[in-house]
Amino acid sequence: MPIIRTIGLTKRFEDLVAVDHLDLSIEEGEIFGLLGPNGAGKTTAVLMLSTVIKPTEGTALVGEQDIRKNPADVRRLIGICFQEPKILWVSTPWDVLNWHAKICGLSTEERKKRVKQVLEDLNMWDYRQKNVHGLSGGMRKRVEISKVLVQRPKIAFIDEPTAQIDVVGKHKIWNRIRELRDEGSTIILATNELHEADILSDRVGIMHKGKLLVCDTPKTLKDTIVGGDIVEIQLEKEVAQRALEELKNFQEVVDVITVNPNNLRVYLNKAEEVVPQIMKLFLKKHLLISSIHMSEPSLDDVFVHYTGLTIEAAEQKGPLRWGH
Amino acid sequence: MFLQYKFLIIMRAIWFVAQIAFFGLIASRMVVPDLADIYFEYYIAGVIIMMLYSASVFIGYDIFEEAEHGVFEYLLSLPVSRRELVFGRSIGGGIRSFVFVGPLIAISLFVIGLVNPLNFLIAFSALFLFAFGVSGMSITIAVGLKSSDRFDILMGALNAFIIRLSTTMYPLAFIQDASQVYAALTSFNPVTFASDLFRWGVGIEKYLTMNPMPLAAIVGLVIFFSAFTFIGVTFYERRLEGGGWK
Repeated sequence: MPIIRTIGLTKRFEDLVAVDHLDLSIEEGEIFGLLGPNGAGKTTAVLMLSTVIKPTEGTALVGEQDIRKNPADVRRLIGICFQEPKILWVSTPWDVLNWHAKICGLSTEERKKRVKQVLEDLNMWDYRQKNVHGLSGGMRKRVEISKVLVQRPKIAFIDEPTAQIDVVGKHKIWNRIRELRDEGSTIILATNELHEADILSDRVGIMHKGKLLVCDTPKTLKDTIVGGDIVEIQLEKEVAQRALEELKNFQEVVDVITVNPNNLRVYLNKAEEVVPQIMKLFLKKHLLISSIHMSEPSLDDVFVHYTGLTIEAAEQKGPLRWGH
Repeated sequence: MFLQYKFLIIMRAIWFVAQIAFFGLIASRMVVPDLADIYFEYYIAGVIIMMLYSASVFIGYDIFEEAEHGVFEYLLSLPVSRRELVFGRSIGGGIRSFVFVGPLIAISLFVIGLVNPLNFLIAFSALFLFAFGVSGMSITIAVGLKSSDRFDILMGALNAFIIRLSTTMYPLAFIQDASQVYAALTSFNPVTFASDLFRWGVGIEKYLTMNPMPLAAIVGLVIFFSAFTFIGVTFYERRLEGGGWK
């Protein structure tokens, strides 16, 4: 049974359709990446699921609780890391996290332990007594995500977890998100960083103009791109025409380009299954392979495939307006 | 938290001192000589209520600031009910305004003196209800309008009417002389209830209204407080959500 199920979830702001009849299921214990350009409706969907804003139409079940009927019960299950850091009237990272842990019902001893551990893990211990308003954007974002890491909710909504954070910090945060999942939390990761979603998510859903375009594992989505895998083969000698034709006869091979007589570029599906067969074919033909390089489509390619736009172009076009 | 508002507190304190030292002292000279001192005390008590009102209203501006910085959405995502959240903010706003106004109440007690501690305790408790009620009213209006410009305009207009059509600065008898309509509106004004109760509590109201025990004021404040906390919560539960703030 899914831990989150949305049923025609829709939000309109005057003439703007931010989320348009979203039907989505998220399984317990998975990291679900909600992808899309800015303005795709990811954040609005997250805010509806966390009961911060109310749907215009439709509803969702979060941990079997209806977000419309039992919002208070939903809030007891969730934790949220906002896109923009939400800093309270209290002024230091320690106070912000301690206050959050307190309101989430953690005992004094437990919250001291967890806050200390998270601050140390994210290299913020030395900043614990600094004024948060004086910290850099990246450090404030670390404080924001630390709330969820301290809380360890059953369902964590994490919006753009590594925005403004340096590379080392990103890896630390990605590892903590994985640990959170391993400890039993279900994680909904809203991001427009496709690489981040690719390496973290068990499944991803791509949103565009408020609609869910497609939803599956990153691998399956990449495999839906016909000829999306690319294999570059460097041979010791010139490839024979007959071998070339046999290669083209593989069902998964979409196209073969002879870059030069010794070098082939093969566009195909399911490269990891077909490459051993290709190698077997060349060996049978006594064609020695000097190098082979495989590359697979990224989620950027998947996004382009489903929208016809790069993520940057989609961001420029903006969200859908009602009646347009 | 309170240091965040240090400039506001300093400004209000200067305003309070100026109102008493200049306006109160000079205006009381316009009253017949026998009542000049009493009017001065009467006016100090009125200024205290005005200060308490404006300090309690301030929570509405906090809500806009929180909405602007997204803190409001964070609060809405926390594992507390809307009822607890709004009730907590009303009570918090009320207590904060008391902390702001507390030193000024102490000054006024020093100037006016205290006749009956029990009366003062009753009046003081009622003032808490008044402060919580005004905080609840301010939050209700802020959440209902979701526009800081509209909120500014409405609170400005409300302040103009609710203070002037009250007994903060002049006794009801004089208002009745001016207009029966004004008097009717003044009689059902929570600011009037608070002003009358505070004066009764410090023992000066009897000189001016001869009310033995302002029960109506106590009942009025209880109704006012209840309306904007308990009944108001129903409204918040329907209206309260993040987003859409201007």
